[in-house]
Amino acid sequence: MTKSLSRIHAVAANTFREAIRNKLLYMLLGFSIGLIGAGVLLASLSYVQVSEILQDVGMAAIRLFGAGIAIFIGAGLVHNEVDRRTIYTILSKPVSRGEFLVGKWAGLTVTVWLQLLLMAAAFVAVSKVSGAPVRVEHGAAIALVGLELMVLIAIATFFSCVTTPMLASFYTFGLWLIGHLSRDLYVLGQQSEQASIPRVTGWLYAVLPDFEVFNKTLEAVYGLPIRGDEVGFAVLYASGYSVVTLVIASAIFARRDLK
Amino acid sequence: MSGEPREVVRVADLVKDFRVGFGIRRQRILTDVSFTAHEGEIFGFIGPNGAGKTTTLKVLMGLVRPTAGSASILGRDVSDPEVRRQIGFLPENPYFHVFLTAREILDFYARLSGVEARRRADRIEELLGLVHLSHAADLRLKSFSKGMLQRVGVAQALIHDPSVVFLDEPMSGLDPIGRREIRELILGLRRAGKTVFMNTHILSDVEMICDRVAIIVKGSIRREGRVDALVGEGRFGAKVVVEGLAADAVESIETRFPDARLLGCGEHVEIELPQKEVEEMLALVLRSGGSVVSVARMHASLEDVFLDAVRRAEEPR
Repeated sequence: MTKSLSRIHAVAANTFREAIRNKLLYMLLGFSIGLIGAGVLLASLSYVQVSEILQDVGMAAIRLFGAGIAIFIGAGLVHNEVDRRTIYTILSKPVSRGEFLVGKWAGLTVTVWLQLLLMAAAFVAVSKVSGAPVRVEHGAAIALVGLELMVLIAIATFFSCVTTPMLASFYTFGLWLIGHLSRDLYVLGQQSEQASIPRVTGWLYAVLPDFEVFNKTLEAVYGLPIRGDEVGFAVLYASGYSVVTLVIASAIFARRDLK
Repeated sequence: MSGEPREVVRVADLVKDFRVGFGIRRQRILTDVSFTAHEGEIFGFIGPNGAGKTTTLKVLMGLVRPTAGSASILGRDVSDPEVRRQIGFLPENPYFHVFLTAREILDFYARLSGVEARRRADRIEELLGLVHLSHAADLRLKSFSKGMLQRVGVAQALIHDPSVVFLDEPMSGLDPIGRREIRELILGLRRAGKTVFMNTHILSDVEMICDRVAIIVKGSIRREGRVDALVGEGRFGAKVVVEGLAADAVESIETRFPDARLLGCGEHVEIELPQKEVEEMLALVLRSGGSVVSVARMHASLEDVFLDAVRRAEEPR
């Protein structure tokens, strides 16, 4: 177990080193910080709820660009290793394909969390300069975005095992959008009068991710409380969904011929 | 206790099909491949491009799953991850994370291989010295030449002191000095009791250092055995150089000696033929008015054996 963790750590550290050299990361980070700052301009167009508009834009920028980094770097995570043939020497060591995948996922997750910290710092700085309040709920809401990105990276890792980076980006982005609507789909389905629709939407809701579990922007911006049990459920949901996705990805990847 | 050397690599009736197109069609890459490599020997796995050498090696490394048959190393099936604790692998034209330095990449592989933390730094220094890269230890790999990357590849393959080393085209991209150094290194591994399995195109290297070889052509093993035994079975025993043969005399030689190989035409003709046919050939040349310039005993080279195996594989059945 310790040896397995040590191998996962080695792959994760290497993935982190590689990811922080990716220019796309800095481009997206720059845009996100720019958009967080641009919230000041947008808020100045309004006479009411200036702080709320500023922080709503800031939180949206954090979620959007965090997802962008997770999707675009995650989509090439495994495929690039196979394509560049760097995987041959790695898998010739006593490293299982599952350990390799978990290491790649963990390395990118840590990278994205670091970017999230930088975006959060920019958010706090802009809020302070504009005189908007910064509460513990903001921290909780941003931490939940971190959990959402953890799940999103697991999904990107899964697609990266089975298809090209372009298609993997497309599928992961699609699932991210659907994941923010899956709860609405479920609620709508339950209201249908046809017997099969609630069953189908229920099944879809069970399979598709529900990223609204991690969306507490409204609470953070308007100073509403975020309950501990909601955060606890989000942690469990993110861990469970990531583990299941990575287990399926490992099972598929283990059977794949690396030509 | 038997005197038979221990089997280290055993491949039996290995078949590999790859799906092509939309996955409906299958292309057979390996057909009933069987061979064994023994403990402490340098085993050469040779064949023309596209013969299936790299696919066989990928099966042995667990990178590709066999369609049928079996492959084992040190008595364990290659699908068992424990096998990889005892093997080192240098892929053809190895690719690395070029943002790392030579020292960092070796540290990465040492961690993956489970080399103890207290031994890691010393082992890395030792290997950097062995492959003559101590001076470039802290340079990023993106500034390395192909030959230097090849040396990093050799070092990573040996990082955990494996008992079996698989090398795919180890001389690729190296200058003559580099090739000699790698050759010496491989011989050093054998002296240390390790088994070396080597895929290569460079037959002169194989002939120089390998104990045994298997020749694979079109996905099937055509020959397997000790290099000296295979070379000793060579078809050509002598080279006769003659002059002044008329065209019809050349034709009659070709008809009379179907196993002879004639090179050149006109005034100066070189004839390679089995030793037992030399006397008869000389008589025919003299009778035809030609003159014999020289007769030399000719040892078949591994290249002859190899080309013969390829030719036979390509003959219609």
